[in-house]
Amino acid sequence: MGVQGIGARLVRKEDQRFITGSGRYTDDISERHMTTAVFLRSPHAHAKIASMDIAAAKTMPGVIAVITGQDIIDGGIGDLICGWMIHSKDGSPMKMSPYKVMDPDTVRYVGQPVAMVVAETKAQAVDAAEAIEIDYQTLPALTDFAHAMDEGAPQVHEVAPNNLICDWQLGDEAATDAAFASAAHVVEVDIRNNRLVPSAIEPRAAVASYNAAEDHYTLYTTSQNPHVARLVLSAFYNVAPEHKLRVVAPDVGGGFGSKIYIYPEEIACLFASRTVKRPVKWTADRSESFMTDAHGRDHVTKAKLALDADYKFLGLKVDTIANIGAYMSLFSSATPTYLYATLLSGQYNLPNIYANVKLVYSHTTPVDAYRGAGRPEATFVVERIVEVTARKLGISPVELRRRNFITAFPHQTPVLMNYDPSDFPGLLTKALEVIDYDNYPARKAQSEADGKLRGIGFSCYIEACGIAPSQAVGSLGAGVGLWESAEIRVNPVGTIEILTGSHSHGQGHETTFTQVVAERFGIPNENIQIVHGDTDKVQFGMGTYGSRSGPVGMGAIAKALDKVEKKAKLLAGHLMEADPDDIVIENGELKVAGTDKKLAWHEVSLAAYVAHNLPEGMEPGLTEKSFYDPANFTFPAGAFICEVEIDPGTGVTRIANFVAVDDFGVIINPLVVEGQVHGGLAQGIGQALLEGCVYDDAGQLITASYMDYCVPRADDLPSFALDHLEIANPSNPLGIKGCGEAGAIGAPPAVINAITDALGTENIIMPATPEKVWRAAQAARPQLAAE
Amino acid sequence: MELTGEHRIPAPRKVVWDALQDPEILKECIKGCQRLEKIDDRHMEATVQAKVGPVKATFEANVEIVDPKEPEGYTLTGEGKGGVAGFAKGSADVKLAEDGNDTILTYNASAKIGGKLAQLGSRLVDTTAKKYAADFFSTLSEKLSVAAVTPPPVAPAAEAAAPAAPAAPIVEEPMPEPDAAGRVEPSAELIDEGVSEAENAAASAPIDSPHFEDTIETQLEVAAGRRVWGGPWFWGILAFAAVILVLIALQ
Repeated sequence: MGVQGIGARLVRKEDQRFITGSGRYTDDISERHMTTAVFLRSPHAHAKIASMDIAAAKTMPGVIAVITGQDIIDGGIGDLICGWMIHSKDGSPMKMSPYKVMDPDTVRYVGQPVAMVVAETKAQAVDAAEAIEIDYQTLPALTDFAHAMDEGAPQVHEVAPNNLICDWQLGDEAATDAAFASAAHVVEVDIRNNRLVPSAIEPRAAVASYNAAEDHYTLYTTSQNPHVARLVLSAFYNVAPEHKLRVVAPDVGGGFGSKIYIYPEEIACLFASRTVKRPVKWTADRSESFMTDAHGRDHVTKAKLALDADYKFLGLKVDTIANIGAYMSLFSSATPTYLYATLLSGQYNLPNIYANVKLVYSHTTPVDAYRGAGRPEATFVVERIVEVTARKLGISPVELRRRNFITAFPHQTPVLMNYDPSDFPGLLTKALEVIDYDNYPARKAQSEADGKLRGIGFSCYIEACGIAPSQAVGSLGAGVGLWESAEIRVNPVGTIEILTGSHSHGQGHETTFTQVVAERFGIPNENIQIVHGDTDKVQFGMGTYGSRSGPVGMGAIAKALDKVEKKAKLLAGHLMEADPDDIVIENGELKVAGTDKKLAWHEVSLAAYVAHNLPEGMEPGLTEKSFYDPANFTFPAGAFICEVEIDPGTGVTRIANFVAVDDFGVIINPLVVEGQVHGGLAQGIGQALLEGCVYDDAGQLITASYMDYCVPRADDLPSFALDHLEIANPSNPLGIKGCGEAGAIGAPPAVINAITDALGTENIIMPATPEKVWRAAQAARPQLAAE
Repeated sequence: MELTGEHRIPAPRKVVWDALQDPEILKECIKGCQRLEKIDDRHMEATVQAKVGPVKATFEANVEIVDPKEPEGYTLTGEGKGGVAGFAKGSADVKLAEDGNDTILTYNASAKIGGKLAQLGSRLVDTTAKKYAADFFSTLSEKLSVAAVTPPPVAPAAEAAAPAAPAAPIVEEPMPEPDAAGRVEPSAELIDEGVSEAENAAASAPIDSPHFEDTIETQLEVAAGRRVWGGPWFWGILAFAAVILVLIALQ
């Protein structure tokens, strides 16, 4: 492999074990005397539990314990928390109801756990769960969240009258209204951002093990942030003191946000293990994933844009109702507020913005951050209204964007964000080149000759990544700081372990993180290993979400490398009797500049550990750690162009071309970045064309399997054309901006803009299924339908 | 979910009315019905093993007859609980009209389903309910007209064709099973694994008909399984021929 530093297209080394089926996931972990847990779940969206009879279940073969919600309350386990406090515009705090591990009195969504059976085998647990008798008194359910605040709507929680959790605002309403009053043009759009199911390939799972001899707990679980899980499990849920709880997130098969949160099941497994004094394993089946993994998106929005006579933007006003589901999940308050409205300026000079977001309860699965988290919703609003405006005013969407792009940096938006440098016009120009925009009319003519409708759609997104600095998020209500930690442990023989608080669940850290170290010291990547996901091994960490492993996680590694480098140079200078400032590290050697004196990397590391000859006052060893808090969010941006071809006879939309030109700052591994973009685009296109989570009026989840919930397959997607501008980020040491969510953020408006362009309609509700597209095509072409 | 249907039963209205109140007859007409008890004139309880697509469960059903107008009709309300498989509840208006010596039964049902049944089986409920309803009326009609029917001719051909024939006219409309177990949760039988698989295939097929050519095939497979008349190869050829005949008839 040799030395593969920053910028190398290194193949992901972890894929060897993933694609040969030798990964070690939570469900692969077995302990002696392990038991299996199964949860009995509510089939009703809203019901009082009049009575529950567990007597028969307890006597079933193999049953060790039947645990109810009351048992968990009696065991002193705390309620689930929401980690970000927000306030309504009148200053009152959000109205959060208690969120019990298993509510003994009331169920509020289909799939809510009501009892847990611990048995010798899964089959026995399933049989026993069926023997639990529950008398439900069903109540009317609220699933149409757009009408959650209507008079007479079913009420989800007493604490939130009219189901309103928070009436939140951002921006200057008076100034924005004034801008609209002076506008030459005002354009309005209605938008629905469809509800999505996260679809991680590995369902959630937990193995909880209480060791009575040591009075110590271990939890293996599918977590994106095991350290935060440990903190919250101990500090808020009282399952175990923090120093007596080890949380391990081994190989994790995808998360997309859904594995950030601490769910009832993992807490219940720890409680059960303490109760039965044996290890307890629970692995969700796919139905449980559909019903209980936090869903994503689910907004309805009215937006209007004001322009002057030269088509310059004057103001944007946005009213959104965001569905939170039946309970407030860990980040549910931040996702539709601070991660959403702060990005409503897009890539544009928009002097006035006012956003009002109403967060409402409904009798559905909790909704929280899902790949992009708030930023896809913001981008969809901005890029749809810009496109609709261009068509209404008869100006090219490219030209309208160019007239309004931000070109001077840093740029302070009216919605908190201070953008670092990028090149928005340059990104769009490059995307137009890559898609060969000049020849688009010829391609459109060819499609028409073939009886097809061709359309082109643009999307110029910006997002805020890193989800740090801590002080900034703290001032906005976050319950934790959002820094990251790293430790660089140089072994005596010169090999290196990177201990990181980031967690890889598909992102390729085992490959990219080694490249940063290999680059610094010129040592081979195979001599570098990452250690992550185990609270007993790694100092601490805030985990992986919001594209933060690059800018924040690798930022922390860079800071720790600085310390290691400094110490190694001090020691090498001492050993070679040279000024440490004259030492350079190249190709795995420490050299005295301008001479032929040098020491191999491993000679210096060994000297640090044998400690026979250290500079005065130097401690032995060569291991350093860093807790890194960046100076700002990072702002990846890009220009996407999508070309679709629609068969008006069937309504089937084919993505003919898709170009994504991104500015991710410095790219550590282009191959990994392209993989991230491909995955993000697939999910974004999935949202636009295929995916939609549906509840019926009674609150039944009727898209609860892949038979009814359609995720994209390879043949739904084109070969993507990708390109990059690398404009280094000034706020972190490696210049990284982050790439994990970009595709999912930018793709939906590009696709919908292309479809509406092809059809000549103003709007189409996602997912744009063949049925909807066919109906729109028929309505848009009455003269053809009449023929 | 709304379901309506109309069936002609070759028996006088009073006979049909009585049959629909008779637990023994109902039990025999509902496939998969393990228990059906009349609690009083207005209430019945049943245990029915049902299968909708991938969901298989034993449902405990309670049915109430509301507003009976002998012999013109009545309204049923009911609820079936299938444990972890979910639940179904709803109501059905049943009307009986005289037409010569026959009775025309019409029904209008609305139903709600929940749990796994809604999550995994919702798209199959329509077709499955329709099929079970067809089975119900087929058996009921057979029972009520049995006195008038002459004994079937020679052996195997009749065995294959007889059950298929009454199924055919019943096909037109979607419906739940209107009585006894009361609402949509379908009565399943699972006589034989091969039969249930064949039904599965039929239920999940996209076309809105109960595929009586499949029914013939099923019957033949069952017969073949019993090694009647020389075993599977003979019945395979016969099945093929029967399906072709049906398809020609449909042209």
